Amino acid sequence: MPVVLPSAASPYLKPLPQPTARNEEFLAGLAERRFLVPQCQDCGDFNWPPYPACRSCLSENLRWTEVSGEATVFSFTVVHRGPGAFGAEVPYVIALGELAEQPRPCLVLANLVAIDPDDAAIGMPIEIAYEDIPSENTTMWRWVPRAG
Amino acid sequence: MSSLHRHAAIIGVYTTEQAVCLLRSSASLQLEAVRSALAEAGQPARLLDGLVPLDPSPWGTVPSGHMYWAEQLGERPQTFLELGSAVGGVAKAAAAVSAGLCRLVAVFWSRTSDPGGPPADWTASATDDLILGSPPVHGGDPLAMRALWTRRYMHEFKVTSEDLARVAVDQRHKARLKPDSIMGRLGELTVDAVLASGLLRDPLHVLDCPGENDGGYAILVASAEIAADSKTTPVWVLGGAEASGPSLYAAGPDRVPLTDGPVRASADRAFLAAGVGRDEVDVVGVWDDSTATVLNTVELMGFCGPGEGAQYCRDGHLSLGGSLPANTDGGMLSNSNCGESSGLHLIEVVRQLRDECGARQVPGARIGAVQAQGYGTHTHAATLVLAAD
Repeated sequence: MPVVLPSAASPYLKPLPQPTARNEEFLAGLAERRFLVPQCQDCGDFNWPPYPACRSCLSENLRWTEVSGEATVFSFTVVHRGPGAFGAEVPYVIALGELAEQPRPCLVLANLVAIDPDDAAIGMPIEIAYEDIPSENTTMWRWVPRAG
Repeated sequence: MSSLHRHAAIIGVYTTEQAVCLLRSSASLQLEAVRSALAEAGQPARLLDGLVPLDPSPWGTVPSGHMYWAEQLGERPQTFLELGSAVGGVAKAAAAVSAGLCRLVAVFWSRTSDPGGPPADWTASATDDLILGSPPVHGGDPLAMRALWTRRYMHEFKVTSEDLARVAVDQRHKARLKPDSIMGRLGELTVDAVLASGLLRDPLHVLDCPGENDGGYAILVASAEIAADSKTTPVWVLGGAEASGPSLYAAGPDRVPLTDGPVRASADRAFLAAGVGRDEVDVVGVWDDSTATVLNTVELMGFCGPGEGAQYCRDGHLSLGGSLPANTDGGMLSNSNCGESSGLHLIEVVRQLRDECGARQVPGARIGAVQAQGYGTHTHAATLVLAAD
């Protein structure tokens, strides 16, 4: 079951990904509660962040593929002085989560929410959660703690 | 009489479609060309360690383009980086192969009329990630990315905040011996003062990081003939090497460059080229965009083992009077951080080897090393080994 967070309040003053032809499918996936990662159709490896060609074999034959959303915390930082509108939210957590999908490890960056920053730890299980931003007609991805 | 040199050979060639107007991106043409030349030679992309991108513009400026390719080729350091024409590019690539800087070099070009496609919405650096806006959409920035790496480093090797603070204390002490250092006049530091300076991006405190200031510099490199005719003691470049890797954020089989990557690649090649052992180095300049970088860089340069940097510092090796005084002017942390500050580390080592450093002089310093990084810790690394006779 995908985790859906409460919708973000309006106005949303933090930066968001700029919709482009290249990320359109990924952003549409978030609205459908699917986390899509480019998968090489020639060698099978996942690639993150999205890049022009597969990092394992240089093929450009990549397709957005749904992943489980499950991950573990690879590293994190607690920001105490945040830029712009993030200033009002300190302290907040930015975490790199290593996706369960292998063999090429994918480290996905996102805010780790629904947790006391003091409780964040390397190795803790996390999963993708979806936060709709109705005023911007878009959805963001976050990390939340996962039971397990 | 034909040459007996047989050190480097051309093993693969490929041309893409050539047409008046190609409706394909430069990036795609370059990828196809590199991929296909490798295929013709029967060699895998993972062997590429040298690049001559005759047009780096799809990927940004010269160093950015190298960061893109280092990541695209599987997050591996590229140890030969060059620009120029194809013929000159091959000439220099052959010289680099002969010199042992690299083993397989791609020389490649593209031009296209297609105004769209990459580079506008791709990025040369995964840290920028124009596709998805990371890290800014998560309230991140380069310092936050460095903090992520620092926490992983501390986790893997049981390094404490006190260990990091010790680096800041030691370098501030050295800066106080350099009259024109920017931070020296602010007085000595203690570990407690560093920890009390406030967290910027946990685990990095304010005093774990350099400030930013203005300043410039120049370095002249000359032939032996001109050096003999100069007013200064020559400081000889015994060997040097460069290696470019992807940004911190890139994921790969060696997920973070804590034990390997561009710093180690450049240091190993430089010391090999110089014919100098680590134990012969009298003074060192070490990239210090954070206190953690200093400890990890000393490990990656081979002065101590992986994860041993904190103990090495605790034992006093990096301090004045130790076996490997580092950043004797206070470094970026306490002397100056003027933008491309590796030149300052280099100039300080040169001055040490010329015996010009007064109160902070390392007595009898004869062999020095300098390690520089840029574009996001570990990303664009270089090492030089220097000697004054």
